[in-house]
Amino acid sequence: MSELEAQAEVEFEELESVVIRFAGDSGDGMQLTGTQFTNTSAVFGNDISTMPDFPAEIRAPAGTLAGVSGFQINISERDILTPGDAPEVLVTMNPAALKACLPELEHGGTIIVNTDAFTGANLKKAGYEENPLDNESLKNYQVIRIPLTTLNREALKDIEGIGNKEKDRSQNFFALGLAFWMFDRPMDTTLDWLKKKFAKRPEIYEANSRALQAGFNFGDTTRTFQHRYRIRPATLPPGTYRKVTGNEAVAMGLVTAAKKMGKPLFYGTYPITPASDILHALAPLRHFDVRTFQAEDEIAAMGSVIGAAFGGALAVTGTSGPGVALKSEAMNLAIMLELPMVIVNVQRGGPSTGLPTKTEQADLLQAMFGRNGESPIVVLAPQSPADCFDMAFEAARLAVRSMSPVILLSDGFLANSSEPWQIPDPEQIPAIPVNHPHGRDPHNGDAPYLPYERDPETGGRPWAIPGTPGLEHRIGGLSKAPRTGNVSYDPQHNEQMFFERRDKIARLVKAIPAQAVYGPKSGDLLVVSWGGTFGAVRSAVQRAQADGYSVAHAHVRYLNPFPANLRDLLSRYRRVLVPELNGGQLAFLLRGRFALNVQSYPKMQARPFKISEVYAKIVEVIGNR
Amino acid sequence: MTTETLPLTRQDFVSNQTVRWCPGCGDYSILAQVQKTMPDIGFAREDIVFISGIGCSSRFPYYMNTYGIHSIHGRAPTLASGLAIARPDLSIWVVTGDGDGLSIGGNHMIHAIRRNINLNILLFNNRIYGLTKGQYSPTSRHGMVTKSSPMGSVEQPLNPIALALASEATFVARSIDAHTQHLGEVLLEAAHHVGTSFVEIYQNCVIFNPNEWIGLDDRRLRDENILYLKHGEPMIFGKNHDKGIRLNGFMPEVVQLGNGVSEDDLLVHDETSMQLAFIISSMEFPHFPAPMGVIRRVQKQTYTEGLMEQVKAAQAKKGVGDLYELYTSADLWTVTERETVKGKQTGALSLELDDEYMDEMEQKPEETTAMQDQLITPIATLQPRAPVSIDAAASLAKAIRQMNAHRVGCLLVTDKDDRLVGIFTEKDVLMRVVGLVDDLTAVPVANYMTPNPIALTTSLPIAQALYEMSIHGFRHVPLVDDDGRPEGIISFRDVVRRLKQNFN
Repeated sequence: MSELEAQAEVEFEELESVVIRFAGDSGDGMQLTGTQFTNTSAVFGNDISTMPDFPAEIRAPAGTLAGVSGFQINISERDILTPGDAPEVLVTMNPAALKACLPELEHGGTIIVNTDAFTGANLKKAGYEENPLDNESLKNYQVIRIPLTTLNREALKDIEGIGNKEKDRSQNFFALGLAFWMFDRPMDTTLDWLKKKFAKRPEIYEANSRALQAGFNFGDTTRTFQHRYRIRPATLPPGTYRKVTGNEAVAMGLVTAAKKMGKPLFYGTYPITPASDILHALAPLRHFDVRTFQAEDEIAAMGSVIGAAFGGALAVTGTSGPGVALKSEAMNLAIMLELPMVIVNVQRGGPSTGLPTKTEQADLLQAMFGRNGESPIVVLAPQSPADCFDMAFEAARLAVRSMSPVILLSDGFLANSSEPWQIPDPEQIPAIPVNHPHGRDPHNGDAPYLPYERDPETGGRPWAIPGTPGLEHRIGGLSKAPRTGNVSYDPQHNEQMFFERRDKIARLVKAIPAQAVYGPKSGDLLVVSWGGTFGAVRSAVQRAQADGYSVAHAHVRYLNPFPANLRDLLSRYRRVLVPELNGGQLAFLLRGRFALNVQSYPKMQARPFKISEVYAKIVEVIGNR
Repeated sequence: MTTETLPLTRQDFVSNQTVRWCPGCGDYSILAQVQKTMPDIGFAREDIVFISGIGCSSRFPYYMNTYGIHSIHGRAPTLASGLAIARPDLSIWVVTGDGDGLSIGGNHMIHAIRRNINLNILLFNNRIYGLTKGQYSPTSRHGMVTKSSPMGSVEQPLNPIALALASEATFVARSIDAHTQHLGEVLLEAAHHVGTSFVEIYQNCVIFNPNEWIGLDDRRLRDENILYLKHGEPMIFGKNHDKGIRLNGFMPEVVQLGNGVSEDDLLVHDETSMQLAFIISSMEFPHFPAPMGVIRRVQKQTYTEGLMEQVKAAQAKKGVGDLYELYTSADLWTVTERETVKGKQTGALSLELDDEYMDEMEQKPEETTAMQDQLITPIATLQPRAPVSIDAAASLAKAIRQMNAHRVGCLLVTDKDDRLVGIFTEKDVLMRVVGLVDDLTAVPVANYMTPNPIALTTSLPIAQALYEMSIHGFRHVPLVDDDGRPEGIISFRDVVRRLKQNFN
């Protein structure tokens, strides 16, 4: 049979969407493979949602379950909101990856295995007593066996100047090429990337690009596959798009806010997973006058941000929960000094060091209350990777308006996941008005400057910065008198200043949108969520609505203050369900704030919700009425 | 930004706050010298900032009529660092003590110094915790009896000068509260140094450690016991300038001048020598005279100079940052208008519902669009065409002839009372008749029509017609009068034509 005939027999199957996971050892380049597949699919026009999943160790022992690194991507011709509940196609580079990912694979799904990696030693490291390819354990799946290492070496055999070890390092590109063939995607995005990346190492470029093509050709010329799949471009609103992760979006949102304030961006931080990528995104932006400062510790990072805010910059720090714990004292000082700044908390699994690379949203109450004394602070949470742009900008806007620190609660899932982002027109983004009081002539007998005299509308105090003649003033962490800000231990002053600090946060409700609701305006059930669970919860509610349930969804992005209508909204439904990746923190807040009966649905597995889980809970709650 | 034309005096730097240190505290003298020095440092008052942590010394900023922050324990260098990076134009002073700056804030101290951030750090060293009422500090001598070490401290003190040197300080000096003239001179030198200036000031705590600097703070004794350092000059000390420091191997030693020992044998101070600076830092009173003055001074690029050079270089190379360029610095793809016909189902739905809810929240009268206006007008306004009817008993052949004759795709089938009983369309011809029926004249149309079709009256809104068409997939909807007799017919095309007017 000729090659042409063989190819003719492979049928195209049209799919609406597909969930693929690439998995291998953490040294196998799976994140790179997944990212390249994502970029190509995004440029191709599919809607995408991705979720990388990697171990905390940079190089865990090779071949073990602990070292498995995965990258899941959902590509679709429709609008999708999550990386998918369960992969339908699993590309595995070794036995450990197979073992780790198999429980989540869709029944009847396709597994592509590198048979060369199923050696005795590797099987043992993965904890397999016998080779799963030789017994019945995979009979419910379509297993495609490929001697990937052998084929790749063969394809690269005449490349000189690199050894077998280096050639083997390109076998992830062989797998990628095969995936490109299988899902009918062009290779040029990845080839362009390789060319740029390895401009100075032509032999590496040659090896990787040839591996990619060999993988593609392998699919094209052998009869290993019965099907190829087509996922047509999605119908997104017209515009120019790019793929964006939450951390990238936060960085761009902050740079935009600084530009719209006419200020330099000061970003003082200490490296911590999963927030460091914000620093990595900002550090190269010196031409935006971005001044990154890698401090000696979390405390110093927070202190530096207060100093920069006092000086009049847009001052921001980024960290994760353990870092916030260290920053708390300085955050409290910022609350007393009443200076505008943004604290980005990319939440991770806790408590303590917890699960550094996994997601959780259990720092809400820390953000609200995790400081000594009464210390109200503004708390916001983005709902998707692209929304991180809007909410980072929003955090800066509200900070300046209220002269208060603002906590932006992102999470590990949002930070590393990606989705298409419609590129905004920078001209259409409104300016953030900044009013520094003007200087006065100190010799003409003006009344003394009052650093804590409040704006009648916002309740914020004036932001007088050094360099302004006549407005020299001292502020500090001690209790102070109203208006003058002078140190005061007067009980009445203490209470009045507490009310003033609380009041200016409450007044922000006038500056934030009312809480939107998706679905009927009243009914059996309102599902309330916040942060990175948006996609799974919204999808589950959509499914329940389609099945005829009387259910609506409110996703809260403003957590302190809550939108003015939130209580009213909650009271319109017979029941309120709050799914959260924590022990029930938003539910706790809603009960405390509104004295309403709220049902909590906690999940503490340091993984995002699945649509099916939330859907099942909705059905259960409505069914139990 | 300098607007003050009159020369400033000490009084211009005195704030309106009452100073609240213990009577006799060394801090008074330091405050006075700082206020005296400020007019001479070359900065306008509004460009000077004092930042402190927690402790007795940290009350300092409240008494300076400059910008200032009284921050939290040990963290003053961090605030000062952030401020210096945001505002390289300012003169920033950190006021700290041996507890604040070397214990809880020790980490920040060494890193601020090693970065060479343009700060002036004044470390008041009284070797005791004062504000917390008398515990030993990181600089308290071994064996010192305090409230928290009643049997004597078992800890070794650290050497602030050596710590600053180990942190690669570019300016290190020492002075003492009681010697106001010397202190003033050192403060001025510190102010003029670009980079981190670290100044240790021996300071007396009259309450908890009043005898710490005996021999140094007494006007009658100090000149005997202090080695005043001067760059390029031999290390001579003593009231009568009769003693000196000589190097013996690696060790410094005190020698009496005369008897064969001349100035040429003495160490000569060199502010640029790190090795010499370490030797000086090791000279502890009373075994040695206490070295005072500038111990080390070298010029190196400051943190902010380096950073702002990078900003400049990046802007020269790439131009001042452009947001659109930033957003588009990735693989891009474009979605064109044509592809949006399907619409983003979930998104559109969500917006609609949200908007509806929002409207209600704000209690606004419902705004209607021109499109909505059109949809609620009666079907009659579409001016429906007259129906083409046929009797239910008529043959298929007649029905098809009728359709051709009137050039319509749809017949309304009526009973003997002219009431609508069915509808027969070209689709019926294609699906049920062609190729299936041999003799068109033999069978009645009633057998092949769609019976009991949904019919509307002309007074109903157009929206109703659109609804029936969209959920059942009808291309035609018959119209009847109140008795069920055909009155007209509207097609999907009629509705679309009407709605299309809104898009012009």
